[in-house]
Parts: sequence; C-alpha cells; structure tokens
Amino acid sequence: MSVSTNSIKLLAGNSHPELAKLVSQKLGVELSKIQVSQYSNQETSVTIGESVRDEDVFILQTGCGEVNDYLMELLIIIHACKTASARRITAVIPNFPYARQDKKDKGRAPITAKLMANMLQTAGCNHVITMDLHASQIQGFFEVPVDNLYAEPTVLRYIRDQVDYSNSVIVSPDAGGAKRAAALADRLDLNFALIHKERQKANEVSRMVLVGYVQDKVCILVDDMADTCGTLVKAAETLISHGAKKVIAIVTHGIFSGDAVNRINNSPLDKVVSTNTVPHDNIQAQCPKLDHIDISPTLAEAIRRLHNGESVSYLFTHAPLG
Amino acid sequence: MRKSHVFVGSSHPELGKLICDRLGVEPGPCTLRKFSNGETSIEIGVSVRDEDVYIVQSGSHTINDHIMELLTFISGCKGGSAHKITAVLPLFPYSKQSKMKKHRGAITARMLANLIIMAGADHVITMDLHASQMQGFFSKPVDNLYAGPTLARWIRQNVPDYRNQVVIVSKNPGGTKRVTALADALKVNFAMIHTDRRRHNDNRPLPKIYSSQNLPKEKESSVSPVSNGPRSLSQPRNVPALGSKLRIESSASKPDLVEDDPFTESLTSTQKGSPLAGKAHNDIVSQYGQRLDYYDVDGEEEEVVKSHEIHVARVIQGHVVDDDYPSPSVDSTIHSDDDRGTDHMMDSIHLTDTSSHALGGTVDASLSDDDEEDHYHEERLIALVGDVNGKTAVLLDDMIDRPGSFIAAAEHCRLNCGARAVFVVATHGVFSDGSLQALDACPYIDNIVVTNTYPIPEDVREKCSKLTVIDISSIFAECIRRNHHGESISALFEQLVSL
Repeated sequence: MSVSTNSIKLLAGNSHPELAKLVSQKLGVELSKIQVSQYSNQETSVTIGESVRDEDVFILQTGCGEVNDYLMELLIIIHACKTASARRITAVIPNFPYARQDKKDKGRAPITAKLMANMLQTAGCNHVITMDLHASQIQGFFEVPVDNLYAEPTVLRYIRDQVDYSNSVIVSPDAGGAKRAAALADRLDLNFALIHKERQKANEVSRMVLVGYVQDKVCILVDDMADTCGTLVKAAETLISHGAKKVIAIVTHGIFSGDAVNRINNSPLDKVVSTNTVPHDNIQAQCPKLDHIDISPTLAEAIRRLHNGESVSYLFTHAPLG
Repeated sequence: MRKSHVFVGSSHPELGKLICDRLGVEPGPCTLRKFSNGETSIEIGVSVRDEDVYIVQSGSHTINDHIMELLTFISGCKGGSAHKITAVLPLFPYSKQSKMKKHRGAITARMLANLIIMAGADHVITMDLHASQMQGFFSKPVDNLYAGPTLARWIRQNVPDYRNQVVIVSKNPGGTKRVTALADALKVNFAMIHTDRRRHNDNRPLPKIYSSQNLPKEKESSVSPVSNGPRSLSQPRNVPALGSKLRIESSASKPDLVEDDPFTESLTSTQKGSPLAGKAHNDIVSQYGQRLDYYDVDGEEEEVVKSHEIHVARVIQGHVVDDDYPSPSVDSTIHSDDDRGTDHMMDSIHLTDTSSHALGGTVDASLSDDDEEDHYHEERLIALVGDVNGKTAVLLDDMIDRPGSFIAAAEHCRLNCGARAVFVVATHGVFSDGSLQALDACPYIDNIVVTNTYPIPEDVREKCSKLTVIDISSIFAECIRRNHHGESISALFEQLVSL
C-alpha cells in the first residue's frame, strides 16, 4: 500500500519556463513531468506525467505573449489535476492576465477579470497566488482565497542596493499610481511627484501635467505594469523637460508588447527595471536598458508557506533572500 | 410606468419620495417594522406578480437593520413572483471594505453583493462606488452612476471665474484619480495632499523640508508643469534670494542631521534636535510668508507665483501646528527611535518597514484612505504637492465620513499654502458622530457640498450653515425609467467615466 506523501507538486505551463526553474530550485522540488502540446488544429493537449492523487499541486503560469493559449493551457492543467484527484490545486499566476479589464468603465464593457476568476474556479482551482494585482478588488472576484503578493519589498531592496537614491524623487506616471508611489517614497524617505496624462485613447498618451518638484533629481518612475511603454516614455520626456537629471523606471510586470523595445531605446529613460513575472529573453538582447529583479524567492516562499500552512503575510513586507 | 412598483425602504424615505415624484408614481404600499425582539418584518401591500420591482434603500446609522430590511424585501418580492427585482442603493453599504485591507481582512462588500444576489435581486443600481471594480463582485448587472457631472455643474454655477480660481485637491494619494477626472472635466488644475505617518519624530522631516523647498535656480521655463491652455495663468517662477538663503541654511544645519546615528542617538539629542528643526523650518515659513512682499524689492520678478514645490507641515492630533509646538509625548519619540534602530539593523535582511500600519504596501494594500483617524494622536507630516496659492481649494472625495483628515487638509491649504477658500465636496455625506458639526465649526472650511444619497436629518442640516445638499434623485429616476423601458443608460454615466 502506498502512503500518500501530500508533498508539493510543482507543475509549470509553457509561458515562463525560466521562472518555473528558479522557483523549483528555490523550493528544492523538481518540476513535475508534464507535456503540453498543440494539435494541428491549434487545440491544446495536456498530459500529466506522474500521479498527483492526494497531492498539493501548484501550477505556475503567467500572462504573457500568447495570452489566450497560455490561459487555456492553465485551465486544462487545472482541470486535468482536478480529475486526477489532486488534494488541492493552487494556480500561481505572477502576472494575472486581463487584470486591466476590471471595471465597467463605459457602457456594455465586460469585466473580463471577473470572467477569468469564474473560469479558474470552474476549472477546479482551490487557491490562487498572484502578484501586484492591477486593482486589489480583483481578490473579491474570487470565491476561493487569493494571495496577492507584493513586489514592493524586493523592489525596495533593489533600489537600496543598486540605485543611488539619495538625490531621488519617486514619480508616479499616472494618478492611479499615486498611492503606490507615495508608499514607496515613505519607505525610502524621499519626496514624490505625480504626472497626470490627459488620455485620449488606450495606449496613446497625450498631454502630460507634472505635479511636484524634480529639478536636478534622479527620478524613479514606479508603476505596476509597463505594456507598450507609451506612458513611461512620455513621463520620462516630461521629467527631463522639467530638469530631471536622470530617469529610471521600475515596474512589476514588464509586458513590453508592441513597439515597447524601440520606444525604450529611443527614450530618455536611463534604465527600465522589471521583475521577472513576465519572460524577457526574447527582447533582452535588443534592449540594453532593461534590468531585472528576480522575484522567484517571494513566489517560492509563498508556495512553501501555503503548503505548510504558515502565514503568508510576512511576505507582504519582507523580501526573502534569494 | 406600467407593470412596475417602486418601493421605498426606511433608510432614506425622503430620497425615495423624490425619486417617485420624478417618475410620477406613488411609492408602493408596504409596511416596514420591527418585532419587539429586534427582528425585521416587512409586508408588501400590493401584488407584484410578474411586475418590475424597484427597491430604494440607502445607508444610515442603523445600517445593518436596513440591509436586513432590503434583503427581506427582495426575498419577499421574489417569493411574490416578481418578474424582475432591482435594488437601488444610492450609497452602497460597506463599500469601503472592498479589499483585503489588513491581512485576514474580510471583503465585506463582496459578501454583501453575494447576499443581495442570493436574496433574489436581478439588477443593482448604485452611485459612486468606492472602487468601480466592485461591479465585478456581482454576478448580475450593476449600473454605477456618477455624481461627478452634478458636482462639476455645481462648481461651474457657484464659483465665480472657476476656471482660474479653482484647484481640485485630493486629501490622500488614493483619491487622485477621482480628483484628476473632475479637474479634467472642469479644465482646472489639481493638487494632492499626502499625510506621512512614518516620519513623526522631529528631526526626520528636516531633510524633506529642505529637499522640497530648497529650490535652486528654478526658472519658469523648466519648472512650469502646464505650459499651455487655461491652466498656465500663473507661471511658476522663483525668487533667487530665497533659494540661495535656503541653501546656506541647509548646509549649515545638515551635518547635524547626517551625523545623527540612529543607534547612538539618545533622548536628549532628539529633544535638542527638535527646536533646531523648528527654527530652521520657521525661517523658511517666514520667508514664504513675506515672499510676495519683497518680490519687488528683489526686482527680478513681478508676477505672483507658486511653483509646484511641496509644502510640508506638522499635524498633531488632527490639527496643523506650528513648528514650535511640542511633540505629543516623549514616549513616542523614544519608541520611534527604537523603530528606526530596528529598521537599520534589519536592513541587512531587507526589512522594508517596521510599522504595522504600512504592511502590504503597494498601491492600496497599506492603509486605506479611510482609516487615517486611527493615527489621530500621532504626530504626522502633511504635505501638499501642487499649488493652491490664492485659489479656492476644492477637497474632493467620494465620501465624507469622519472629519479629521478634511480638517487637517483644509488647515494646511489655508494656513501654509495660501489658499483663499476651501470647499469640501463629496458624493456621499455620511457625517458620522458629529463630524458635520466639526466641519461646520472649522474656520478654514468655507463650504461643504454633498448630494442627498445619504439621509441627513433636517435639524442637523438647518444648524449647519456651510452645508449644501444637491438633489440627485433625477439621476436615479431617469436610470429607473430607462431601465424599465429598456433604453440605454450609458448616457447617464459616460460623461465622467473615471470619476
């Protein structure tokens, strides 16, 4: 008779193999064998190569690149584990896809983030671990528990170690991020400033208004997400034109889609720092300004604590050492 | 409206009556009462079979009773075979608890959403949800209406020359989005107030004051944040003499600060530090005060200015104080020193903060915008980012509940930042526990403007001379009418979407 070990089973989709490898090293747990392929008609097929019966399953998949394919992959893996009698299934989604579609901001707009939550739960997910949700209200879209981790402690460590921040000012590139910037500025004992964009349409930025004082300062732009980088670049230009000495940007989720790489290269941004919630290996070579913060220790520690039934809240303020 | 009934709950009968008047219907007959043991009992006095039912219920000071009443009513209509049940909640109760504030906090707004849907509601109409993401809590459609256009209209009609006179101010960074939306709609400038909870011991703020007010060779060309459009009426410039004088002072006093080792710093040195800090800051403040006067003496600039520097002041027990004002207690100073000591020691293991209030901390996980008053007795720093000098500061928020942060913000705008007048404007005037009286008594607040989504008793309203209540029943009536006739209501909320 085999004895159930109820150990951590770490499964990874195809979205971000490097991060999966880092997390598995930090946890000291081998990635479980899993084969994900696509039929010629583009349907996703999943085969789980080892037993997950009565195990604590963690599935790591992030939102990037072919978002819908990876999402489908995640749902199918969850469902496969569910039907294979896993004890508990936790989806680890460092970059939660569709998080920006979180409200009905105009007539007939879908709340796709809510749909995502419903889909994950319908597939059989018992718990979700994610990071820096675009709006923390998304936690309330789920019936199952959601642990929203913060990259902030890791980002703080990066700033303290790698940036000479004595003459810096923290800048939020939009009004919505003012709170994030103010919180970070408090921790670092710095001033903060705010740029407001009068937005005409999505991903296009028009007139910028700066509130705050940046003359001869090193400006640290912080945001939760950088997609096409239009906002960041415009913000950097605004700061430079107001006399900033140097501008660096730090974001949690560096999606860098579309023309982002060219925009960053041609911008006055000195450096763009992103965590590795989204893979960048395909653009790293073309973009020397890009730098990384490894957040796999936080993810691994969250998985370990969740598995052992320990409190996760410690990670909201502390960055575990790599 | 055929085949429909509008029922009015007991929380805000006045608004319910206004909505019914607008719609040209009588409120549906019903009996709402409580048994002697406190249980709620409702009786629907008319058949609702196959009809559209609208139930108007807002918040109040006995909020849980009214929630129970609403749920019972919805359930009663469901049992009475109503065709469609719409809950009209001008103020969605518990809407501030829409996220996990602290660890293990409940998302009560979501639970309430579940309860309303579970009781049998098919549709929810509400106004200015604390976070618009809350629409995603419901599995049924939600119409979140906006009071923004109404408030904007009030400002347009009641503030003379509002384009040049009004600055919309957010009293905390979390509300900046709401503020910029209204500022954009009115095409006026905005500013933001940040209350800092961490650096409450005396010698810490000093570097901040210097760095923020030490404005070397700032010229209008480079600093003007708004260079075109109607916002640029006052070009930010600076007095050279001020900048240079500040720099001398800062270099004189800086070494003291730099050499302050948090480990060895004793109580005495902290106490010694405080008058120094106060004095230096006072000098700056006095310079500021006289600045407009000796502009001409300097002969460089004629125009009255304020650029976008940051004004910092101390707040003790909810009030802005002079820099000579003593710290609340020595104990807290010692304590905070300990905190800092730990902070430094723990740097090696990358502790980000020892303050339990700051847990979590990115965009909104830390302290919410609302529980500021928890720190009432601590000394804090209040900072204005932006420019309100000579302007009317409009402090905008979605809800006025407790007065402390509004009063501190108003004092700061008027006393330290040169605002001519301060208006407090919000959608929901909840005014718990005498906060309306406190706001009314505050000499630095000139006007309080709210809508009638929440009941304010007649006698209280009459006693408060500064209060203006705007009627928004027409918005709800129109929304109900359009819903009933299956017309699009997006016109009602597309004007000021992000507000």
